[in-house]
Amino acid sequence: MPEIDVAQLVKTFGDQRALDDVSFTVADGELFTLLGPSGCGKSTTLMSIAGFQTPNEGRIAVGGEAIFDASSRLNLAAERRNLGIVFQSYAVWPHMTVFDNLAFPLKVRKLSRKDLGTRVREVLELVDLAPYEKRYPHQLSGGQQQRVALGRALVYSPSVLLLDEPFSNLDAKLRERARTWVKDLQHTLGLTTIFVTHDQDEALSMSDRVLVMDGGVVQQIGTPEEVYRRPANRFVAEFVGQVNLITGTVAGHEDRNAIVDAGEAARGLRVRVDQAPQPRSSLTVAVRPEALIVEAAGDASHNTSNTLLARVTSVAFLGDHYQYELDASGLALTAQSPHQVGSTDVKVHIPPDACAVVA
Amino acid sequence: MAVVQKSIALPRPRRPLLPAGALQAAVWILVVGLIVGPFIPMLYASARDRPLYEAGGILTLEPYRQLFSDGEFWKAWANTLQYAGLTTIMAVIGGASVAILVSRTNLVWRRAFGRLILLPILLPPLGLVLGWIVVWGPGGYLANLFSQRLHLATLAIDTIPGMSLIEASRLLPVAYMTCEAALARADSSLEDAARSAGATPSRVLRSVTIPMLRPALLNSATLIFTLAVASLGIPLLLGTARNIKFVSSYLYLQWTNAEQPDPATVSAGAMMLLVVATLLLLLRNRLLGAEARYVSIAGRAGRNAMLPLRGLRWPLAITIALYLTFSTLIPVLGLALMSVVVVLTPLVAPWKLLTWDHWHQLSTGEFHRAIVNSLEISLVGAILATALVTVATLVAHRSRFPLRKALPFVLLYPRATPGLIIGIGFFWTYLLTWGVGSWLRGSIWGIMLAFCVRNLPFAYVVMYPTLARIGEELDRAGRAAGAGWWRTCRGIVLPLLRPAIFSAFILMFVEILCDYDPALFLVKPGNEVIGTTMLSQFIQGSVGPVAALAVVQVTITLVVLGLGARLFKIGVTGGHDA
Ligand SMILES: Nc1ncnc2c1ncn2[C@@H]1O[C@H](COP(=O)(O)OP(=O)(O)O)[C@@H](O)[C@H]1O
Ligand SMILES: [Mg+2]
Repeated sequence: MPEIDVAQLVKTFGDQRALDDVSFTVADGELFTLLGPSGCGKSTTLMSIAGFQTPNEGRIAVGGEAIFDASSRLNLAAERRNLGIVFQSYAVWPHMTVFDNLAFPLKVRKLSRKDLGTRVREVLELVDLAPYEKRYPHQLSGGQQQRVALGRALVYSPSVLLLDEPFSNLDAKLRERARTWVKDLQHTLGLTTIFVTHDQDEALSMSDRVLVMDGGVVQQIGTPEEVYRRPANRFVAEFVGQVNLITGTVAGHEDRNAIVDAGEAARGLRVRVDQAPQPRSSLTVAVRPEALIVEAAGDASHNTSNTLLARVTSVAFLGDHYQYELDASGLALTAQSPHQVGSTDVKVHIPPDACAVVA
Repeated sequence: MAVVQKSIALPRPRRPLLPAGALQAAVWILVVGLIVGPFIPMLYASARDRPLYEAGGILTLEPYRQLFSDGEFWKAWANTLQYAGLTTIMAVIGGASVAILVSRTNLVWRRAFGRLILLPILLPPLGLVLGWIVVWGPGGYLANLFSQRLHLATLAIDTIPGMSLIEASRLLPVAYMTCEAALARADSSLEDAARSAGATPSRVLRSVTIPMLRPALLNSATLIFTLAVASLGIPLLLGTARNIKFVSSYLYLQWTNAEQPDPATVSAGAMMLLVVATLLLLLRNRLLGAEARYVSIAGRAGRNAMLPLRGLRWPLAITIALYLTFSTLIPVLGLALMSVVVVLTPLVAPWKLLTWDHWHQLSTGEFHRAIVNSLEISLVGAILATALVTVATLVAHRSRFPLRKALPFVLLYPRATPGLIIGIGFFWTYLLTWGVGSWLRGSIWGIMLAFCVRNLPFAYVVMYPTLARIGEELDRAGRAAGAGWWRTCRGIVLPLLRPAIFSAFILMFVEILCDYDPALFLVKPGNEVIGTTMLSQFIQGSVGPVAALAVVQVTITLVVLGLGARLFKIGVTGGHDA
C-alpha cells in the first residue's frame, strides 16, 4: 500500500485561488483527513488526486509514482489512476442493481464471468450487502447506498481510497455507526485513505492525522490530539471545537511558561510556550472550555496562580456536562464541567499546560 | 480480512483502441463543419461576379452593391421589420398572459389549456398556414360566409397585420413556454408574501409576477423576432399575391422567378440576413447569461396558492378557448373539409360536393413520392441527427475536449438561421464538393442533411437539460472505476439519458417531416418532400390535393407525438425553449 505525496498544489478558478500551495504526505495505511469549512478547497484537493481537476501547479505521486506533475505536463487520466473514490452524493448508478454497480469496474477490467461473480459477492459480504445484490439503488436506504458506493470503490483493490464527505447525507444516528464501521474497515484492510469532511467530530474521531484547511491554504497538519490541544493558529483553534481566546501582553518568562497580563482580570497568567516570546509583545492564547476548572468560590483547592474569580452568567445542562458562561471581571469565558457548581461566585483555574499560543 | 487485497488477480483496465480525444475531435469537426461549413461557399458565392457553376469569375463586391441599390430590397426589409415587430408584440403578450393565467391563477381548465396552447408549434407550420388561407384567406370559406351571408367584416389576412397575426399564433407557444418555465422556477412564495402584505391579486400581478418575468419576456421576444424575420411560408403564400415582399420571399423570388436569376445577389442578401440573425442570437445570449437558459425545471414542490380571478374566471377561459378554436381547430378542420370536397364555397353545401379525388391523387405521382421521401428522410435523418447530437452533447458537457465550450453555441446556431439560408448554403456546398456533392444534390439525402442541420438545436435542447440533471459524479465514478470516456458514456450516461434520446428522436422526426424551406433550393423532380410539394402545388392552384397532403402531415405528426406521449412533456418544453 503506497503513500500519497502531494506537493505545492495550486489551483485557480478565475482570480480565485482555490488551492494555494497545498502540500502533504499520507503514510502507507494511514487514514488522513482534510478538514475545513465548506468552500475551503477540500474537494478540489481530492478531485485533483483523483484526476477530475487539473491543478495549475504542483505534483502528486502515489507510491512513489507521479500521477500528476504540472511542470512536466504529466496528467494521468482518472481511469488509469486505480484509485477508489466515494462521492458525497454516493453516485451509485441508478440504472444498475447493486450487483451490477460492483461488477462494472471488473467488467472494465475484462474479468471472467466466474471470477467476477466471486469477487463481487466477496466484497458485498465485506460491506454487509449480500442480501441486497438484486436491488436497485432506489430500493435502498441512504446508509445502504453509501455502502454500495464503498463496495464499488473497493471491489477492484484500489491502491488508495478517497472519501468525499461520505456521511454528510446520513442522519445523525446512522452517521455515528457509519463512522465506526468505515474506520474499522479501513483499519482491517490497511488501506491508505484520504477522508474529506467539514465536521470536526468526524475528523477527530476517525483520523490518524488531520489536515486543517482554510481558503485553500493548509493551516495545520497533526494528530487529532495535536490539532485539538495545540492548535497552530486562531483559525484552527476556533474551527476545531469550542475555545476561549485570551489576549494579553507578555510581562515576562519563567521556566517553560510565559507570563501574560490580560487586562484587570487575569494579571500574571502563566501560559506554556515552546519558545520564549518577545517581552511586551501581544499574545493570544486558546483554552478549551473543558480544560478550565470551575469550583465554588469557597473551595480551598487550586488557590494558586492562574486562578480567577468569576461570576456565572448562565448555565446550560447538556446531558453529559454543564456549560457555564462566566464573567471574570470583564473577561468572558466559557467553561465545561461534569459537575454542577452550586454558587454563582466561582473560581476558574486555567492550567498553564492547557493553553496554546495561537497568535 | 485479506479478502479485499488479492484473492483474484485484477488486471489493470486496458486502454481503448481509439483514444477518447480522437473520437471527440471527430464529432466536434463534424458538427462544426456541418453547421458552419455551408456558409463558407455561400459567402464565396456572394462575392463573385458570376455564379459558381460558371467557369471563370473574379472576386468582387458587385453583388452587394447591386443588392443595396435595389429599392425593392429595402422595401422588403421595411415590411419584414414591421411584420416581425407586430408578430413579436402579439405573440409575447399572448403567450405571457396565457402562461400567467395557466400557472398562477385559478382559471378554469387551466391544465388542458397548458397543453393545447402548444399545438400550433407542434403542427406542421405550412399546413397550418394553408388551413388559415383556406378558411380565412381571400375567398376563404368562413371569410366569404361572414362577409356575404352575415355581412360581417373579417380581418384581411393578406395584409401585414393579418400575416403577423397568423405568424403570432404560430409562435405564441414559444413565449408561453419560456414564461411558463420561468414561472415554474420562480418561487411563488414571493407572490404569497405580497398577498399576505395586503396586495390585491391584480396588484400582485403588476408588482411581483410581471417584473419577475422580465428576462423571460426579453428572451422570448428576441427569439420570436428572429423567427419571424426568418419566416418564409406566410410571406410567400399570402404576401406575394398582394405584392407585399419580405426579405425572405424577396430572396426566394429573386432566385426562382426572376427572368434573369442572379444567385450572387441572392447569396449576398442571404449573407446579410445571416448577419442579422447572428446578431440577434448574440443579443439573446447576452440577455440570457450563458447558462441561465437551461436552469432545469427543478420542481419546486408544494402547490402554491392560486390568485383568484373571481368573475373573470370563466370569461378568460372562454376567450382562450375561442382563440384556440379560431387559430388552430378551425384551420385544421378547414383543411380536412377542403380535402374531401370539389370546391369549398359558402354558396353550395359541402356535402353536395363530396369527392375522394384529392385523396386518390395522393397515391400517385409527385404527391406519393413526396410522402414516401418525407417519411424516409424523417426516419433516417432523425436517427442520424439524434445520434450525432447525443455524442456532441456529451463532448460539449462531459468531456475535457479543449474546444468543447464552442459546441453549445454552434449547436444552437441553426435555430436562429433562416431555413432559406441553410438551403442556399447547402446548394453551393453540394455544387463545390464534386462527386459526393452531386450525389447529394441529386438525391433526397441532400435535403435530409439540410433538414437535419436545421433542426439539430431541437435535439440539443431536449438532451441538455436531462444531461445536466445527471450528476457529474456518476460518470466520475465510472472513470475512477477504470472506464475510459467512451466506455463511461456507454455504460452510465447514455442509459440514463435514454428518455431524452427518445424524445429528441421523436421531435427530430416531426420537425424534419414538417420542415420545408431549406429544401426549396435543393428540390428537384423526383426528390420532392411533403413541404415543397405542398408549396409548389398550392401556388399552382391544386388546393384540394394539397389539403389532403396537409391532413396526412398533421395526422402523422399527431400520431408520432402521441407515440412519444409518455415523454411528450419533456420533448415539448425542452424542444422550443431555446
Ligand atoms: N468548477 C469550479 N469553478 C469555479 N470555482 C470552483 C469550481 N469548483 C470549486 N470552485 C471554488 O473553489 C473553492 C473550493 O471548492 P471545493 O473544493 O469544492 O470546497 P469544499 O472544501 O467545500 O469541498 C470554492 O470557493 C468553490 O467556489
Ligand atoms: Mg466539497
